[in-house]
Amino acid sequence: MATRSRRASLVETTVLQPLDWVDERTAAVRATKWFLFRNVPRDISWAQTLGSAALTAFIVQTVTGVVLAMYYQPSSAIDPITGKPVAYSSIEHITNEVTLGWLVRGMHRWGASVFVILLFLHMGRVFLFGAYKYPRELTWITGVLLLVTGMLLGFTGYLLPWDQTAYWATVVGINLNGTAPFLGPWLAEFLASGPEITSDALAKWYALHMLVLPGAVIGLIFVHIYLVTRLGVSSPPWSAGAAGRERPAARPEGARTGLVRGSGGGK
Amino acid sequence: MARDLGELNREHFARYKDDVKKEGKPFFPRALFHDTVMSLVVVIVIAVLAVVWYYDAEGTEAGILGPWYTEPAEPGTTSFIPRPDWYFYFLFYLLRIFEWPESVFIATVGIPTIALILLLGLPFYDRRRERRPMHRPVAMVAAVLTVLSMAVLTWKGATAREALGSELVRLVPEWAEEQGFAQNREATDGAELFAQTGCLNCHTYLGEGAGTLGAPDLSAIGRTNDASFFVPFLTNPAAFGNTVMGSYAYLGQENLAALGAFLEASKGGE
Repeated sequence: MATRSRRASLVETTVLQPLDWVDERTAAVRATKWFLFRNVPRDISWAQTLGSAALTAFIVQTVTGVVLAMYYQPSSAIDPITGKPVAYSSIEHITNEVTLGWLVRGMHRWGASVFVILLFLHMGRVFLFGAYKYPRELTWITGVLLLVTGMLLGFTGYLLPWDQTAYWATVVGINLNGTAPFLGPWLAEFLASGPEITSDALAKWYALHMLVLPGAVIGLIFVHIYLVTRLGVSSPPWSAGAAGRERPAARPEGARTGLVRGSGGGK
Repeated sequence: MARDLGELNREHFARYKDDVKKEGKPFFPRALFHDTVMSLVVVIVIAVLAVVWYYDAEGTEAGILGPWYTEPAEPGTTSFIPRPDWYFYFLFYLLRIFEWPESVFIATVGIPTIALILLLGLPFYDRRRERRPMHRPVAMVAAVLTVLSMAVLTWKGATAREALGSELVRLVPEWAEEQGFAQNREATDGAELFAQTGCLNCHTYLGEGAGTLGAPDLSAIGRTNDASFFVPFLTNPAAFGNTVMGSYAYLGQENLAALGAFLEASKGGE
């Protein structure tokens, strides 16, 4: 009895009190409970894991991306030792020399494709379920914006290895931007940063790829998940036990079906 | 009963909240368990792709998932075929359908903008409460058509035959015969240069090329201009107000003269 209460008081002072202290100031504990300890419709299943799968792919991109940023150098200047552009040499270095660098780069390279596929699948699922309807319109809109920023991340990341594939795909991409009316030529000039695409452009694309766009995605993900938590996940529409299903109107107290015409309880 | 949509919606949502509270399952740990399993699958799939990519390729030599990298970027080359990542193939192929430069705007900006607006606005123009797919024929047909067209465009983009210099140069005798410059040595040399220096990445010629930028068709360009125009133009297109096309001065005046002769001889064939 004495030991139990000592343990209880130990927990109280080392865990609960600090948590309370933080919660009193931030509501972080309440928010976590609100997120975790809620009910979802009983009939949801694997189809509704595509969103969190996309989130996982994005987390993989973030972690591998941070590691890559530690070794990558966004410069098109020629490295006097290798005789190749600095950016290209740093990619070679990551792939061939850094411990497990090939795995990190490979996962980042292919994680991008997996992320985009999962975004499309998730969107297809939401469309099929009609889950974008009232009251989840804003969840849908943030989702579409996530798809667009996700694809822009893929587009800006494609240039960074500074190989022929990257370079020419980007030249085409920039020229295409230039065909847009009004802002098009201005945008193309901004992205190309001069008559030839060199370090100036590379640094700009790198900043977009690892600061601006991921920042936008992270912000959008928070809004998206907040809305999903607040509004709940919708049941499959064909489910017999779907949450929110229509119930037949209740029969009047004591009524017996069939004895009196029109008392069947229906219309 | 003429009850308004908003009222019905709110009633349904209140019933949903109530049902979830009464008959739902806890998100933690029940639903989160499914999410965790799925997340593990995702990480494993990504890692497997990375391993296959790495071990099947070697430097610039491609394996089934492509090379580690291609040659270093070389702004001077004109023979490299631009190719975006696979999820842009549908856009990439869309560009080939529309003619440069009058209607390419439709492919680069028009269709993507309309698609984006339709996508963003979906919950606002599809306001019915019905969620069952079988009772939403218009939505389902639209979805199937969208998926099909994206798949076809992606497939076409992936398998599009690109204008490779080594393949095109074999067409030179055919061109010479069709355009009737087989006896003109200078024009034939020019035709070979034309095939190899990447002109067909942007231009089209007798049904070949139609690269991603789809610049004007040159099959009959010799009807409107002659070599005395082409040579200075190729030396510095910007001087003629063309800021899209790069300068080909690096080819040297002799080669440019050959190209000029070839273009002059291109009267459109039969």
